[in-house]
Amino acid sequence: MNLNKIIPYKKMSLKELLTPDNKLMALIAVVLTALFFIGVINVLVHGHEIYNVTKDHPWGLLIAMYIFFVVSSTGLCIVGSFGDVFDFKVFAPSSKRAILGSIVTILSGFAVIAFEIGHPVRMMIYNVLTPGLTSAIWWMGTLYGLYLTFMIIEFIFLMREDMKNAKIFGLIGLLVGLAAHSNLGAVFGFLNTRLVSNGVFYPTYFILTAFITGIYLTFLMYGYYYRGKSFPENINNMLVNFAKIQGLLIAILIFFEAWKMLTGYYGGVPGRADVITHILSGNTFWLGEFMCGMFIPFIVILFSKGKATKLMVPASLIGMVGIFFMRYDLVHDTQLMPMQNFMTRVYQEMPGFVEYFPSNTEMMIGFGAIGLCLVLYYLGTKLFDLTSTCHAD
Amino acid sequence: MARYGMALDYKNCINCKACEVACKEENGVLLGADKHRIWVGVNELEGEWPNIALSSSVFMPSQCQHCDNAPCQEVCPTNATYYDENHVVRVDVDKCILCSYCVEACPYGARYEDPRTVTMDKCTFCSDTRLARGETTTACQNTCPTKVRTFGDLDDPNSEISQLLRNREHFSLKANLGTKPKLFYLM
Amino acid sequence: MQVEVSRRKFLQGSVTLSIVGASAVSTTNLFSGEEASEHKSTQSGIPSTITTKTSTKKAENVPYLCGICVNKCAGFARVEDGIVTKLNPNPYFPKSRNMLCARGNAGIQTMYDPDRLKYPMIRIGERGDGKYKRVSWEEAYDAILNGTDKFKGIKQILDEEKDNRATIGYCNGEGLSKEGFEVLVGEKIGSPNYVDEISICLETTLGGYVNTIGTYGEADLNNADYLIIAGANRAEAIITPDTMDLFKRTKGRGLKTIVLDPRFTNTAAKADRWYAVNPGTDLAFVLALTYVVLTEELYDKDFASKHMDGFEDYKQHIISKGYTPQWAEKFTNIPAKEIYKTAREFMAARSPIYYQGRRSVFSKNDFQLRRAMAIFQGLSGNLDKKGGIVYGKKLGLPKEDINSPMYAQVQPRFDKEGIAIPSLKTGSWIVFRNMVLEGKAPYPVRAMFMRKHNPMSGVPNTKKTEAFLRKMDLNVMIDILPSDTTMFADVVLPEASYLERTSPVASYGGLEPAIVQRKAAVKPLFETKVPEQIYKELAEKLSKPLWEITQKYDEDVQDDTKGMSAEEIEKYYKENGFDLAEPWEKTVHEQNEEKIVEAFGKEAWEALEEKGVYYPNMDKYYQQLNPNEFQYYPENKKNYSVKGDTLKVVVNFKNLAKKGVDPMPTWRDDMAFSVPEGKFRLVTGRHAQFTQSGTTNNMMLRDLIPTNYIWINNKKCEQMGIKFGDKVEVKSNIGKVTIMAYPTNKIAPNQIFMLHGFGGSSEQMEFATGNGANDALLIEDKIEPVYGAAVMHETNVEIRKV
Repeated sequence: MNLNKIIPYKKMSLKELLTPDNKLMALIAVVLTALFFIGVINVLVHGHEIYNVTKDHPWGLLIAMYIFFVVSSTGLCIVGSFGDVFDFKVFAPSSKRAILGSIVTILSGFAVIAFEIGHPVRMMIYNVLTPGLTSAIWWMGTLYGLYLTFMIIEFIFLMREDMKNAKIFGLIGLLVGLAAHSNLGAVFGFLNTRLVSNGVFYPTYFILTAFITGIYLTFLMYGYYYRGKSFPENINNMLVNFAKIQGLLIAILIFFEAWKMLTGYYGGVPGRADVITHILSGNTFWLGEFMCGMFIPFIVILFSKGKATKLMVPASLIGMVGIFFMRYDLVHDTQLMPMQNFMTRVYQEMPGFVEYFPSNTEMMIGFGAIGLCLVLYYLGTKLFDLTSTCHAD
Repeated sequence: MARYGMALDYKNCINCKACEVACKEENGVLLGADKHRIWVGVNELEGEWPNIALSSSVFMPSQCQHCDNAPCQEVCPTNATYYDENHVVRVDVDKCILCSYCVEACPYGARYEDPRTVTMDKCTFCSDTRLARGETTTACQNTCPTKVRTFGDLDDPNSEISQLLRNREHFSLKANLGTKPKLFYLM
Repeated sequence: MQVEVSRRKFLQGSVTLSIVGASAVSTTNLFSGEEASEHKSTQSGIPSTITTKTSTKKAENVPYLCGICVNKCAGFARVEDGIVTKLNPNPYFPKSRNMLCARGNAGIQTMYDPDRLKYPMIRIGERGDGKYKRVSWEEAYDAILNGTDKFKGIKQILDEEKDNRATIGYCNGEGLSKEGFEVLVGEKIGSPNYVDEISICLETTLGGYVNTIGTYGEADLNNADYLIIAGANRAEAIITPDTMDLFKRTKGRGLKTIVLDPRFTNTAAKADRWYAVNPGTDLAFVLALTYVVLTEELYDKDFASKHMDGFEDYKQHIISKGYTPQWAEKFTNIPAKEIYKTAREFMAARSPIYYQGRRSVFSKNDFQLRRAMAIFQGLSGNLDKKGGIVYGKKLGLPKEDINSPMYAQVQPRFDKEGIAIPSLKTGSWIVFRNMVLEGKAPYPVRAMFMRKHNPMSGVPNTKKTEAFLRKMDLNVMIDILPSDTTMFADVVLPEASYLERTSPVASYGGLEPAIVQRKAAVKPLFETKVPEQIYKELAEKLSKPLWEITQKYDEDVQDDTKGMSAEEIEKYYKENGFDLAEPWEKTVHEQNEEKIVEAFGKEAWEALEEKGVYYPNMDKYYQQLNPNEFQYYPENKKNYSVKGDTLKVVVNFKNLAKKGVDPMPTWRDDMAFSVPEGKFRLVTGRHAQFTQSGTTNNMMLRDLIPTNYIWINNKKCEQMGIKFGDKVEVKSNIGKVTIMAYPTNKIAPNQIFMLHGFGGSSEQMEFATGNGANDALLIEDKIEPVYGAAVMHETNVEIRKV
């Protein structure tokens, strides 16, 4: 069977495939990927004990990075669907690139989570044999599995320029992705005992920040593709529109966050207000989340009215750093309050907020997966023609 | 078929930790386990010497609450956490994928990873040790010097625990969460 | 310092330590042997992991008595394939009533402690450097007799001392095999120089009570309704059944509890009122209580006239001395109105108890304090009755006759300096040691036979103890762990731990008396032997050679045996008890059977064998009332009142005056508590998860309480800039230690507290060595004047952040 008949790809020699056109980027990707694999070998040899997660803080950097990747994926899926599902012609150029991006990011996310949970193979078996239907993790995992399938099918149809089918699978994929993603939010939202996360906030916030992440990544992909060159007009036009949407989304996000913090703080409810106070007294929120993730990109958009598309590329990179802190903080902040708030040994102080800092291995796997993502994306851009824009006329 | 619960006459507790050691020895819990399977919680004493608030010096013995509506069971993606035939919340180590969601969800901090099986572990009310041998109590109840604990069948109206709960005021921990704990603190 | 045990390494069946801030500890030595620090399970009978989950298989349940502290709680050891997997409480014993504390449960870890003494050893290096050679038992006994090139044998020493058996000193720790060791070295070998834990423990408590009400008694806490408990920390220094009964009824549940303690203990946490009394001033408190009761005529007049000997003298004494609550307030730190309230409440209560307490001697006035307490109890009339301090009964066991030889050359004991009433049997550790050390002994003491005793940690002033041990020509140690003191032994004989041996039956008296037997759960591990077997074999080895020395120097023996034939001499030797091994002809188990069958019949023996406990009518009386409660004796069979008209409280003890001791409790000005500015009073004490130096190497307990800290008042810490976990140097007149700080509101600004037993120096105990601080390095070797018992709370120290 000819693979090219299923999905058209560019024929090239292995040497050609392995000759990157940007040495620096290639080096970064390879080093990070290597770190990922070193981390993986570490954990396979030593077991989970070399993670810094504890009984009081069982979720760490790897969960944060998993969320980071799947949020990116969902965001790119939303962005991609603008063109091929919703037929906004101005956004059509982004579809192929965005859908490729959504596939490589979720694959990277899965790569991370495989080394976070103790028994990934067992998971696949008992996910099917004894499904826990009341578990947000079950729904999230299962739906993301389906989502990945639909994204791949959509990408195949996109490559085959079969826009009708791409649209159908794109729509299904989008809906499943949104369901999966809001379930990921619900993983935290369902935690009745963790007041700072419990409730409707995270499921909706996840969709909103996914969209924001998708647009940041779109800027990064195009910024990289047209590095040292100016954007062609249709691309520039598209990016201006994305920037304007991004401005609106960030404004909504700031509004959301402000009210989350205010309602959390109000009334001084133990386990919620004290956690909010702790969050608001930390740099990861103000510098990481707020400055990087919201304020700086927002200022760029505001003062240029969205037209500074070149400047939006570094602003988006800063934005992605902010997005990372949002993921890391949401995982960490959820677990700040110890569930066992008492002493159990004679010579002990009262436990305060739970502390956590990732181990080297966690960082190798978590951040190394970015390299994995870059490598996959590079192969995708090499093998597939992502530039032609097509319409289901 | 029973519905096991435990009543704790917690004011008896002198924080001697006999229960903790008995549990660890009975169930082969690894050393280094603090606040893992069973514990006695102590709060900060209020007041300054010599005016210490005696009312603030309380010892709270605790362990898995074996909730009738257990958050840990609800969030388990593979149903590895289950209610056994005696309504004891248990973990099937063959199904546990160690996603740790149950640890996040448990309001009592009653779950921990056993690095030998790389799965979750918790208090089992000695179901796989003592009860499986036909004994009628848990290691923690049996050994307690001041007899804090009474273990028994809540569905049997004649059991000691049922009588205690009928006749004495009691409360549960974090009852507002609707977890319906089967550990009862006698007042 | 913190010892971190990698949990992962436990999985692999080995323990790796990383000791933060200290040099790593070598485990490649003889003491640890090839199983160093690991449960490798290479040897059958040793579990492969530290904790063993019990199985659902059939297992043997062997009745035993716990030996991790002095209480002797009863338990059943669960034995699976020759390995003890769990210790469970024994419901049949009225004393321990189906309970085992944390330490009792952790006893498994003491038996399987990788650092245990495993083989007989003799010293090949210098004392204290830990260099030993593994030898056979026969070689070890031979070294005791004949010595080696490194130390002298007992034969040479006795020869040089012309058969003065007093040249041998011996010391012994509490336990069921204690008596046998006293028989061997005291009765048979003939040494009078015995010291044990009594003079560093509760000697004055026992003496004070026995000399006042005729007994130490038992507090019937099940039925009392008012309790003053002073300086006794029953929540942390667990004693059965007191601890069990007491805390079920505190906190407004029937037993009003008043706690006096310089620091806020877990017992204080359960009290209705806690008075932070100044150390050593309880006597002023009791005298003031007595003053209130006498002046307000609240006492039981009928009881006083019938049973109190010298009551009127005492009344006049107390009132004329003016021991008012206002007077006591100055000394005790307890407000006068609280003393009035307590005295009135006490006498108004139906069944009030001033708890006797049971602890080390803390202050010089302790004997008088106990007398005052006992008299005060008498004033309530709540003696020898339900809810009071009761006398109880004891089930008699046939007495063993020891055929003790008479040695003419033996000199009497001499440790009497500064002591009003020297104890003939147990002596005074401090006075004995110091007199030997200072050359004040009338004859040389040249050998120490030691068993299950760790004076390096237990007796105040470790430096002197070390010097004392170094002065000896021969030190023999029988123990289960290489303690700090073991490191100064020339011959080390490894003993089986309490789970590996059948011990002599014991009778426990009280309200509900019973006979108990400890049975060996498993065979002795490694090459260890049960103590009685060691006594026997050592006696066999020494018997004839020492007899020859006696024959050489003992004129009485020479006179007696003059002209006798060899056969006749042999007969004389046997008949007059010079055959040292004779008490151990039968094994302990055989002796137990003999005694029980003789006293109670065959069925009693069968019950004892199966249940570990026996008392007459047990089969009829014993029943389980609910999951937590048992009936041992029906209410009308409990021995609440046994004395009747013979009950007597000696209030004015005139004979004491002849010895220079106050015949009635009297406050002396030098008893006042004072600490110079900038110094702190050191107080010590115990903890529920830890039994002195004996459990510092127990891995399970180390998990619960890894080390000791020094309690310093939190406000004081703020002034001194000391935070939790900071290292501080504590210095007294005799030594200094470094220890981590625990700022707390539970102690007064001019006092510090440190748990006793940590800070071991024996490098052969991997977990204990260098961990925490040894209070015996700080506590000055002061004695109280009546018995010469060590006084623990009269040392002031300086502290400095390092």
